[in-house]
Amino acid sequence: MTTTAPEQVEAPQKGFAGESIPRKEDRRLVQGQGVFFDDVKRHGMGYVHFVRSPYAHAGIVSIDVSAAEAVEGVYGTLIGEEVAALTDPFFEMSTPPGNEIRDYALAVGKVRFAGEPVAAVVAETRELARDAAELVEVEYEPLEPVVDAVAALEPGAPVLHEEAGTNVVWSGTFEWGDYDEALAEADRIVRIDRLYFHRFSSTPLECAGALVEYDRGTEQWTLHCNHQMPGIGIVWMAPALRVGTDKLRIVTQDIGGGFGNKITLHPYFVALCLLARKLHRPVQWTEWRTDQHTANTHGNERTFLDVEVPVRSDGTMLGFKVKAVDDAGAFPRYEPLGCIIWAQVTPGCYRWRHVRVDFTQACTNKSPTAPNRGYSRMQQLWFTERVIDVVASELGLDPVEVRKRNYIRADEMPYETPNGCVYDSGDYARCLDIALDLVGYDSLEERRRDAESRGKLLGLGIGSTLDSGTNNFGQSQLLNPELQFSGNNEVATVRLDIFGEIVVTLGTTPQGQSHETVASQVVADLLGVTPNDVHVRAGHDSYWNSHAGFSGTYASQFAVTGLEAVRGATLALADQIRRLAAIILGAGGPDDIVLEESMAKRRDMPEAALPFMACGAIINVNNAGLPPELDDVTLNCRYVYRPPFEVPDIERKFGNLTLTYATQIHACVVEVDPETGVYEIVDYAAVDDCGTRIHPQIVEGQVHGATAHALGAAMFETFPYDENGMLLASNFYDYHVPHALDMPPLKTGFIESPSPFSSLGTKGMGEGGGAGIHAVCAALQDALRPVGSPIVTESHNPYHRVWELIRDPAASRAGIEVSGA
Amino acid sequence: MKVEGTRRYEAPRDRVWEILNDPVEMAGLMPGVESFEIVDETHWKAKVKVPLGLGSMKMSIDFEKTESRPPEHASLQAKGKGVGAIMSMETQFDLAEDGGATDMRWQADVRILGQVASMGQRVVQPIVNQQVEQVLTALDKRVAVKAGEA
Repeated sequence: MTTTAPEQVEAPQKGFAGESIPRKEDRRLVQGQGVFFDDVKRHGMGYVHFVRSPYAHAGIVSIDVSAAEAVEGVYGTLIGEEVAALTDPFFEMSTPPGNEIRDYALAVGKVRFAGEPVAAVVAETRELARDAAELVEVEYEPLEPVVDAVAALEPGAPVLHEEAGTNVVWSGTFEWGDYDEALAEADRIVRIDRLYFHRFSSTPLECAGALVEYDRGTEQWTLHCNHQMPGIGIVWMAPALRVGTDKLRIVTQDIGGGFGNKITLHPYFVALCLLARKLHRPVQWTEWRTDQHTANTHGNERTFLDVEVPVRSDGTMLGFKVKAVDDAGAFPRYEPLGCIIWAQVTPGCYRWRHVRVDFTQACTNKSPTAPNRGYSRMQQLWFTERVIDVVASELGLDPVEVRKRNYIRADEMPYETPNGCVYDSGDYARCLDIALDLVGYDSLEERRRDAESRGKLLGLGIGSTLDSGTNNFGQSQLLNPELQFSGNNEVATVRLDIFGEIVVTLGTTPQGQSHETVASQVVADLLGVTPNDVHVRAGHDSYWNSHAGFSGTYASQFAVTGLEAVRGATLALADQIRRLAAIILGAGGPDDIVLEESMAKRRDMPEAALPFMACGAIINVNNAGLPPELDDVTLNCRYVYRPPFEVPDIERKFGNLTLTYATQIHACVVEVDPETGVYEIVDYAAVDDCGTRIHPQIVEGQVHGATAHALGAAMFETFPYDENGMLLASNFYDYHVPHALDMPPLKTGFIESPSPFSSLGTKGMGEGGGAGIHAVCAALQDALRPVGSPIVTESHNPYHRVWELIRDPAASRAGIEVSGA
Repeated sequence: MKVEGTRRYEAPRDRVWEILNDPVEMAGLMPGVESFEIVDETHWKAKVKVPLGLGSMKMSIDFEKTESRPPEHASLQAKGKGVGAIMSMETQFDLAEDGGATDMRWQADVRILGQVASMGQRVVQPIVNQQVEQVLTALDKRVAVKAGEA
């Protein structure tokens, strides 16, 4: 086995990479043969139902489970006091006092959001567990809730975590470039008092859950589950359970969508581990849909206050200043990472050089937040896009021209942002031209007149987005220098088995991203076989030796971390096959062997060929008499990919935070009914640049999905709370997710700007959907110019909000001010 | 959620007061009351079935009379628990005599928590309005009957 990368070999000129081959996963999924965690059953298993708090904020006076336990068929219960005795709180990543927060698997002493689990009941059926849970008597002492992050920071606001003594999770300032210099250079200063990015989330088809078994002999838990970041998941869970990470085996196969909200399942999973051990039986929990809405993590809500943008008269953007207040919900479960992850895309697509950001994250009595497709960058990118359109509107400039003037140019790549991130490649202006062409920008004025003749207002909006992928976890040290995380990694193993089978295992946890297909393309090209010859194990199993600290599928990284690991392992295997074949075939050395048609052939004499089947057999079962120089040849190669990152400069908060930057430029045309505010997207284009595409159809599918997510967030999807902290959209009746009929006709385009930082030229992608939110906001603002030029200051714009903008445009403009420098 | 209103009863104030302050009388006026128990002079309990969209929800409600100034003012606190819902209500009324008739001003502050509340005002507000209307209408009839008895 080797962990060093051998010398590079050339991939075939024309290979499988770049072709939309049939997906390997489809046969089983289309035939209903996928294995999701809920398909895994065990003899004698019990079903878990969580008793959840109806209060957003309350003390727990008492919990009585006796009536529930007395029901026939109920196997047992778990309450917070037991959790507090048997586990340690999950580790907190913030600095004091934010890190004083104590977060357990079940509520201990008090509840902090409606839907927080306070007890668990296990019974022989799911229904019985649910019924018995109603018999658990919890006495609460209601406390005043706080449901707004800005209000949570005010003196006298109710404090969620007395241990911390404050609702502040993390707070800090970021100063890059010379903002005062930007002010001095500016011709005009545009001020915006408030922009607001709303709370919503993704709603995967498959809710969260796990089947957990405890082996009393080995004291080990096996979790068949749909966790999408097992590497970090066990780092949270094992210390809480007071065991080593080897005691937690995480197994996934098919996962019905992740989007980030299957990253922070550790509180539930720890409760399941305790139950499996306590009750001597496997336990299974499948989240109910209502609970997915109410208590699974939501995307971050962010308020941008006191925005100031120094600009030149021609629309050149010099810098920006903003005070951002982020809402973490009741517990910082993945936070405060969101307080730095936005900085991967600090200036968005633009050449802003002088930046001053005051960032504070607060706890509120709402469901905790965690990554959601475009985590923390989506909010920042929406902010930059809104600023561009507001400035264009107030200075009377064309938003297309302002973008082109300020976009980072293709000839400036790789481009270092003011905070040291390196944008690897891309051509934003060209993507924009393609998008504009697709929506018929040249005939826009004509279409405006046509719409007007039908009593409608037509508008065009642009959304420019970067999808930063392959995190440098060292960015966590910019929040808390004590944290011992940096870099990133992913693992793959590739081996040649007895009968010549090529078997690949991945550390990733695909949730629909087709890793089996894409990995097989890369392996096939490097070994001279077809993807049919490559068997990629489905899913993830931490028993496999393809597992590392950051293993998982999140944050747009498979195309780099996953494929680099696959490539590294495959190159190592290819080298071993060539060394073996050189000796068997009597060639001069490994370089005299070529791999093609599932054979190792002598370059000078191709008829001298050793089939892979023979190679596999020789090493595995027929190895007597092999020379000592083959002692290290196992034909079973493991490779750990580590991106070339440095620890960022903590003093300056400066450094490269992500390796690749895919681009998505969207253009949206809306028609608004000025009488009602009802609007329709009549034309839409999404242009994607994720570097070299291994499987164009899969990329296109992700572009479609991400766009649907974004349009949902822009128009329909929101998680509002009432003043008591009750979520008002706990089901699909109130929370409308766009379906096929809600989608506009979608035009797509692409360019390929290969990344200079990945061997295959690939970039992580799939999260660029935020572009749709920006594009809809911009299109509405453009359409409403004839009715008083209201300014769109919120990311969520349902019809009634558009109607309000039309009815009272001055109200939306009240917070906008332009002054000479 | 605050609801309030005024209502005129064609009966003397004492009559109206009598009914409103007799828990047994009131239990008879509330829709969906399945059982009722008087704990002491100021506390009583009821099990109520509240209609809720497609189904109904059973709630056990504890009532406490918090203020009483016969025959003009009373206030009452109610706390209810049901599957997926917690209800609390503070209600008060004032009675004013106007000739032989009585004017009642009433208000109630209803808080509903839990999954039922998550269904939003769309469902809850009409239900609260409907329940209140039913009580007031039943009270109308009862007052008329009592006035007839006198």
